[in-house]
Amino acid sequence: MNTKPKLGMYWAASCGGCEVALVNINEKILDVAANFDFCFCPCLLDTKKKDIEEFADGEIAVTFFNGAIRTEENEEMARLLRRKSQVLIAFGSCSYEGCIPGLSNMHTMAAHFKSIYIDNPTVDNPNGIVPKPQTQVPEGTLTIPAFYERVRTLSQVVEVDYSIPGCPPESGQVWHVIEELIKGAPLPPKGSILGAGSSTVCRECPRDKTHRKVSRFYRTYEIIPAPEPCLISQGVICMGIATADGCGALCPKVNMPCIGCYGPPEGVLDQGAKMIAVLGSMIDAGERKGLSEDEMARRVDLILDSIPDYSGTFYKFSLAGSILGGRRP
Amino acid sequence: MKIGVYFCNCASNISDKVDSQRVRAVVGSLEDVAYFKTNELMCSEDGKKFLHDDILEERPDRIVIAACSPRDHEKTFMRVLSGAEMNPYLMQMVNIREQVAWVTEGVGRASTKASSLIKGAVSRVRFHKPLHRKSIDMSPDVMVIGAGPAGLKAALTIAETGRKVTLVEKRPVIGGQPALYEEVFPNLECAPCMLEPILNDVLHGEYAGNIELLTLSEVVELNGFYGNFIAKIRKTPRYADLNQCIGCGDCIGVCPVDVKNEFNNGMDNRKAISLSFAGALPNVPFIDMKACLRAKGEDCRLCEQACPLGEGIIRYDDEETIVERHVGAVIVAVGASLFDAGLIPKLGAGTVADVYTSFEFERLLSSTGPTGGKLRTRSGRTPETIAIVHCVGSLDSNHNEHCSGICCLNAFKFNVMIEHRLPGIQIHHLYKELVYPGKEEYALYQRALSNPNAVFTRYSDIDTIEITSTGDCIGIKTGLPETGVIRADMVVLCPAVVPSKDIGELSRVLDITEDMYGFFEELHGRLDSVRTKVRGIYISGACQSPVNIAQAVNQGQAAAGYVLSGLIAGKQLEIEPLTASVDKDRCSGCRVCLFLCPYKAVFLDAETQRPSVNEVLCQGCGICVAACPSGAMSSNHFTNDAIFAEIEGVLK
Repeated sequence: MNTKPKLGMYWAASCGGCEVALVNINEKILDVAANFDFCFCPCLLDTKKKDIEEFADGEIAVTFFNGAIRTEENEEMARLLRRKSQVLIAFGSCSYEGCIPGLSNMHTMAAHFKSIYIDNPTVDNPNGIVPKPQTQVPEGTLTIPAFYERVRTLSQVVEVDYSIPGCPPESGQVWHVIEELIKGAPLPPKGSILGAGSSTVCRECPRDKTHRKVSRFYRTYEIIPAPEPCLISQGVICMGIATADGCGALCPKVNMPCIGCYGPPEGVLDQGAKMIAVLGSMIDAGERKGLSEDEMARRVDLILDSIPDYSGTFYKFSLAGSILGGRRP
Repeated sequence: MKIGVYFCNCASNISDKVDSQRVRAVVGSLEDVAYFKTNELMCSEDGKKFLHDDILEERPDRIVIAACSPRDHEKTFMRVLSGAEMNPYLMQMVNIREQVAWVTEGVGRASTKASSLIKGAVSRVRFHKPLHRKSIDMSPDVMVIGAGPAGLKAALTIAETGRKVTLVEKRPVIGGQPALYEEVFPNLECAPCMLEPILNDVLHGEYAGNIELLTLSEVVELNGFYGNFIAKIRKTPRYADLNQCIGCGDCIGVCPVDVKNEFNNGMDNRKAISLSFAGALPNVPFIDMKACLRAKGEDCRLCEQACPLGEGIIRYDDEETIVERHVGAVIVAVGASLFDAGLIPKLGAGTVADVYTSFEFERLLSSTGPTGGKLRTRSGRTPETIAIVHCVGSLDSNHNEHCSGICCLNAFKFNVMIEHRLPGIQIHHLYKELVYPGKEEYALYQRALSNPNAVFTRYSDIDTIEITSTGDCIGIKTGLPETGVIRADMVVLCPAVVPSKDIGELSRVLDITEDMYGFFEELHGRLDSVRTKVRGIYISGACQSPVNIAQAVNQGQAAAGYVLSGLIAGKQLEIEPLTASVDKDRCSGCRVCLFLCPYKAVFLDAETQRPSVNEVLCQGCGICVAACPSGAMSSNHFTNDAIFAEIEGVLK
């Protein structure tokens, strides 16, 4: 019988990128296999849900849970794995803070179904059939997991011990966490963020941060930024300033703005709100001498008009887990 | 943790509306609340003694006081805590008077609301940490920039207390604008006579030894903070020995170079070596080296040779120097300028002969001016009609919306002075509004109005006025059908008082802000008009807002008052502990905080490239804390934990 500690990995509402990030540790995956009984990973292994159900509670030492909670099935698996795992880690942005699936919280379930199954130009659905938990067919009742009104993060559904941010988490950081587990290092305080730095992406970004005033914003297709100065100072909304470090500032180093996938830095509750507070401090509305308050407001509005999509820009990854959590119906 | 809650009835101010028994039922059972006590009037001597003795007996870890606004008595109760050997920051006040008793309908609702607020305070006070005031050494000395009435009076007042004052003046002379006037409103007092005693006190008075006057000098850099500023001042050489020169003026007549005299707005010429104007103080000439032949490579020594004291008084080898002064505070009193009347071309300023600005006219009236005080047209004629146009560039959305408040009185003064010089002359006042506030000013207006040869005409818009030369005199089209064209021999334009051009550069050097009009921005327009957002930098006189001489002097005195009450020799500067601080581990070095701090309290540590907060300058406003994107900035006493606990406490 395998006496190695059990390691599991599960995907809920996710894309599979987190699994890719895990195997991107390359040959070190052999160290994982040598030290753990890698017992569950639907993307890579053939174990089934029933196998997990047969485990004793707490039999799995560590579970990496990626994906947001979108459906009834996601929630069921989250509860099952919570019960069976000693340590449950929200792995990647979807389970940690909702990520791209979480952006759907800007709309109702009915609106999603309408655009996906009815208005979608490539779908032919004359009877307007949309998914339902139960559907009667001549052969009997078909059952599929219910689709929830809102996307939730893993910690909004079950108790989570730790979170590893990133979309996906950087493989180096993933290995770092696994290495600590293999070494049997003492566990950090519950609720800690693993695999990230203590500051923001700016710390890892080599760009020059001297000048920090912006009189208009550009979308990425509108500008080829200069390589040296800070992207924000060039009018590109780089979320790095309000995003936890740990990725190595990969995007700004290749002239692309950070889009915020590592989530808020420690001690910041709401990444998007923080970003808005920061931008507020960087907007240069020009000379205020002789301007009325209305004129000032108009100028600021004009600058803000160059930001097209607030939720998709400031909350691309963190909407479901943020204070507002999305649009309230 | 042992938390004690005190409920003040505020005589009946609170207890009439808030039922302490109902509040006790909610608050008394909260976790860690060890007791709930009411008192009739906590701020009274009896009340304070009760609180003091009770703290000593109960020895609570934290205290919540539900009473009036903390603006009223937070400091009172903090003192009681200190007296009772308890750190005063371990207390939270809840305002159940102004925010509950006085504004909430019904005892039931008011009691519920008070309970919620106290619950918030109980949740929050757990997170309070004992904080301690710090103190540092400070310099009691002061730098005053600008030697006009405001700066001079500030410098004198401070010097009289034995402190050192560095008085920095850009011009070669002191006294400011009024030194160039003949008489000042409202009583037509002789301006040079009025200023003389002050100027003399600054130069030779009992406390002159405490004032270091740096003329032809400008502040180029200011570092540091309240109590400990280091100023760098650029001294342009005067090329004459300020101490030995006797001011005889023999050097001036021999100078072969004529240049336009800026002290008369270019209406006449002066020499390259000049005394500015007759009676100017300090009574020592200066060489305008840009104009001097020596700057063109010639070895002219005429002025030196003319000096009756011999060599060494005129010093061609003097060089520009930068001096450093360590001061505790800075008073800025650099004055203002006049609106450029040329921006309204139809008024003829600079294009029509005998159209003058109010400043030029002051110089024409002055016995030290280009005509020695005689009113003559440029062609030498004695004028028979003089028109005075008020409100040039003021009360006008195209130029300046503000009323400068002094131009009308200047115009009335001109009226009286013109009549004195040329009795019977016709005077036309063209005005948009007439303004003469103050207890003595109405009399001056009456004097001008009672002049039988004066006509007052109100125009609606300066754009309707057109001033042109008609050959032998000037024609003024008023746009008013009943007035038609006014013919005058001289026209005086009274432009608005506007910020001087140098204010932008100086605000950059001093790191203080300008307001939307371009004047230096005060902390509060009514209550704190001489303080800026930077602690220890004060503004006085017309650089803050258009003012008359009395107001400028009062502001200079007010600034001196702040200095004298705040910076006391031998005393250390006490620093409130409610400041922000940076967690260097979390800080990414993004520098957002640097640009935001309105008090210039956040600076970049050159070595670590991380910001630091200067605890002397920090006012604990929390702007940097809210903006810090990495959560590295935190604020003593107003931590995220405490704020969220308070919100939760109120809502739960």
